[in-house]
Amino acid sequence: MIIELGHYALVLALAVSLLQAVLPIVGAVRNDRALMEIGTVAAKASFLLVAMSFAALTYAHVTSDFSVRNVWENSHSQIPLIYKFSGVWGNHEGSMLLWMLILTFFSALVAVFGDNLPESLKANVLAVQAWIAAAFSLFILLTSNPFNRLLDAPGEGQDLNPVLQDVGLAIHPPLLYLGYVGFSVCFSFAVAALIEGRIDAAWARWVRPWTLAAWTCLTAGIAMGSYWAYYELGWGGWWFWDPVENASFIPWLAGTALLHSALVMEKREALKIWTVLLAIMTFSMSLLGTFLVRSGVLTSVHAFATDPTRGVFILMILILFIGGALSLFAFRAAHLKAGGLFAPISREGALVFNNLILTTAAATVLTGTLYPLALEAVTGAKISVGPPFFNMTFGLLMLPLLLAVPFGPLLAWKRGDLLGAGQRLFAAVAIGLVAGSAIYYAQNGGPIMALFGIALGAYMIAGSLTELFLRSGLGKVTGAVALRRLSGLPRSVFGTALAHIGLGVTLIGIVAVTAFETEHIVEMKPGMTTDAGGYTLRFDGLRNSNGPNYSEQSGHFVISRAGVNIDEVWSSKRLYTARQMPTTEAGIRTFGVSQLYVSLGDGMADGGVVVRIWWKPMILCIWGGVLFMMAGGAVSLSDRRLRIGAPARAKKQTKPVLEPAQ
Amino acid sequence: MLFWILVATLTAAVAAVLLLPLLRAAAGTEAPQSHDVEVYRDQLEELKRDEKGGLISGEDADFARAEVARRLLAATDAVKATAPVQLQRRSNRLAQLAVILILPAVGLCLYLRTGNPDVPDAPLAARLANPGNDMNILIARAEQQLVANPNDGAGWDVLAPIYYRAGRVEDAAAAFRNALRILGATPARLGGYAESLIALSGGLVTTEAQEALQKSLAIEPNDPRAQFYLALGLKQEGKATEALAAFEQIVKTSPAGAPWLPLVNEHIAGLKGNGATAAVDQPGAKLGNPTGADIAAAEDMSAGDRAAMIEGMVGSLAEKLKADPKNFEGWMRIIRSYSVLGQKDKAADALKQGLAAFPADGDEGKQLLALASELGLKTDGGVK
Repeated sequence: MIIELGHYALVLALAVSLLQAVLPIVGAVRNDRALMEIGTVAAKASFLLVAMSFAALTYAHVTSDFSVRNVWENSHSQIPLIYKFSGVWGNHEGSMLLWMLILTFFSALVAVFGDNLPESLKANVLAVQAWIAAAFSLFILLTSNPFNRLLDAPGEGQDLNPVLQDVGLAIHPPLLYLGYVGFSVCFSFAVAALIEGRIDAAWARWVRPWTLAAWTCLTAGIAMGSYWAYYELGWGGWWFWDPVENASFIPWLAGTALLHSALVMEKREALKIWTVLLAIMTFSMSLLGTFLVRSGVLTSVHAFATDPTRGVFILMILILFIGGALSLFAFRAAHLKAGGLFAPISREGALVFNNLILTTAAATVLTGTLYPLALEAVTGAKISVGPPFFNMTFGLLMLPLLLAVPFGPLLAWKRGDLLGAGQRLFAAVAIGLVAGSAIYYAQNGGPIMALFGIALGAYMIAGSLTELFLRSGLGKVTGAVALRRLSGLPRSVFGTALAHIGLGVTLIGIVAVTAFETEHIVEMKPGMTTDAGGYTLRFDGLRNSNGPNYSEQSGHFVISRAGVNIDEVWSSKRLYTARQMPTTEAGIRTFGVSQLYVSLGDGMADGGVVVRIWWKPMILCIWGGVLFMMAGGAVSLSDRRLRIGAPARAKKQTKPVLEPAQ
Repeated sequence: MLFWILVATLTAAVAAVLLLPLLRAAAGTEAPQSHDVEVYRDQLEELKRDEKGGLISGEDADFARAEVARRLLAATDAVKATAPVQLQRRSNRLAQLAVILILPAVGLCLYLRTGNPDVPDAPLAARLANPGNDMNILIARAEQQLVANPNDGAGWDVLAPIYYRAGRVEDAAAAFRNALRILGATPARLGGYAESLIALSGGLVTTEAQEALQKSLAIEPNDPRAQFYLALGLKQEGKATEALAAFEQIVKTSPAGAPWLPLVNEHIAGLKGNGATAAVDQPGAKLGNPTGADIAAAEDMSAGDRAAMIEGMVGSLAEKLKADPKNFEGWMRIIRSYSVLGQKDKAADALKQGLAAFPADGDEGKQLLALASELGLKTDGGVK
């Protein structure tokens, strides 16, 4: 009965969303406060209903209720409790329900904390949220219902996909969805502004924190997914330019652009219309990502064509929302008042530069992801657009942006002094070059591009610190005064610096691991040794053991350096009995920020086993940098001040030519 | 019933919550841009604080202040220009009607389409505690025990025929093989093993199956099942004469009126009439008409035929037990068989008779009771 009540709660949530989608807008048009108020109440109600529904599904998973098809297909009575929970969203139907839960949660947040919003804006935002919620709950109920039942309940489940039986999976999708769906709020704000035909001053103050929160979660989610793929898939790669990864990376690029343009808008009331467009594009990319991953179109265009119910449904949602929002933009954007003016060389100008490159990069990745699909659909030819394409195009696009990153915060609002900023960055450039050469020599003999890449990363870190250094006045005033000034700086300044430092750290990690990684594939017998990254590994032999729902064969390795045993590592292969599916559990040992990665291959007839050993220098920098970025997002989010950027005064009588913000 | 009451309550509660703002709506006025004015005023305050805290220089602050003040002026002008909008208390009957109608209408229509209101929850723990005649759970429970203790021969013994009935013939063959390995050969195990192999090979009596059947006959020469499949094997190999002799031998050794006799007689008639080759040429041809070699394929056999055959065997066992009730293995087997066949009453009856022969306080009696509770039988004759 609990399960069926959960099912009914989901249906009822759809009905509430339908009301919430219409009544508040009518209220906004008729200036009827009661109707607008319904949006607030309905948003809270539908969140509670979806939460009930989600709780019912979780209950079914945790109690191994195999009369629910979803549980039978994706759970097993013997798996550890945490995977019974994570199994709820470790499948298509459950993950869509999680999507709904987060969507309605955000609507409820807007309803609860939106008291200081103009009433009509709030009503319209909640109505647009409800359109999305209604479309997705209909999608779930008609094509991917997690509450479908089996009349003759099986006695045992088919087990959760073994690759997904991992703590990483327990956290990765919720984070990713918090990001994806968080952008829905920005989208709703944009569409509401278009419906109203004006952008209130409060608009940007609301959109920035949402963007920041969504961006932080998406960043964390992508990094989590990347790290999970690194240690779980057993081939030591951390990013594959795989369409599923790109599907999350495209919204991230667009979201990063949105983050920066929302900043300009909040502080300077410039770039208003562009921000609205970016908000629409970012959420559209999130929807597109959901479509790519969920419709089955990625496995094969033909697989999609044979069972198109889900895919066509999401495609309709895509067309309706992206097409609808863009048409609305086309009709209404002219009604919006353009914002402030600024000179081309200014903080605003730098952020426009950032936006241009990020959106171009997003478009590039999108093209690379969709082109093979389009080609297969039209001609039937199967091609794969792999890392070479992305590395060439995306890498080259990023280069000028990365060079420009430290300049942005050093330029003044409205009109800036490029030469002055350049002079102030002189030290950062020098530090970058020195650090780059140092690491280059330490790793002796990598490609020359690596030197440049690492120097670039170090330059970004130093450049981000330059701003803090200059603003505290360190060197010009006494240490105590500088410290006081530093602690008095707005938290968003630290947020910016942290995020940019993170980008530099990640860059260093990427370059170092790409250039200096070593790979050894050897057949080892017990007692044999092999060298990797300055360490020696001795293979001790294999051991068999059993887990709750798998059998395992683990190899034991002793790691030594200069003849001294310093560590040991287990690397194993598992066979999950229910699905008869093998997985690898790589053995990973961390030394500083570098890692030794040991993966077991097939056993040989003569008792040996194929072992793959990678030395991954500085690989943890990749995710460490992401931690910096997340910290930056969180610190910036905690800055609750009203934020205004003080414009720089024109120095000469001859005014520079001012550009319109659009 | 409780479910529908809860559904109605939930729907009514949500409707009430949504109706609330419609009923208590108050009139008021709001100027469209007053929020903007508020934001700019806050920004001016913020500037003052920043200047005091030394975050921006006085010059910068003046410049920023001028800019914000310009916006504030524009916003204030805009407010003055537009007349305050009267937020009226209007009749919103239509909205109330929408809330009252749409919630139950959409909710019920869609739920009745997609939901299964009659299917109860089935948490695994509850099913394991009280399996009743839930075949799937009996299998799962036995499987779990066998994962923990793969050398439990009795477990494999129970599981093997259940697998076979559920159509999982590969698992059935493996389970029979395990039971044979651990507990040794009996006609029942050998016969079941052979039957699983035959089903696995699509109805062909393979050499491996024949070996098992011959072992079975060595122990129990008059086992009609073993005789039948061996005869069928001969027929499939084209040895018509030998097959005919073997089938006729079954008729001789079977009690009069045994339920499998019609089947055997049809084979005899077929072999006598058309010769063996014709029958071999069309294996699995006429489904439901048990004259050809298709009979052999256990999976092709109609459910009625198979049940009749099993029931026949169970019947003969029951006869034997009536003659000699001190046959502990026999009671165990017959109780299991009845419950596998779904005849709970007969199983309970057999349990009662078995307990009469082996009192409940003895070792064998305890085993009978354990089996009964495993199968979900009540000792007083009813079914849980």
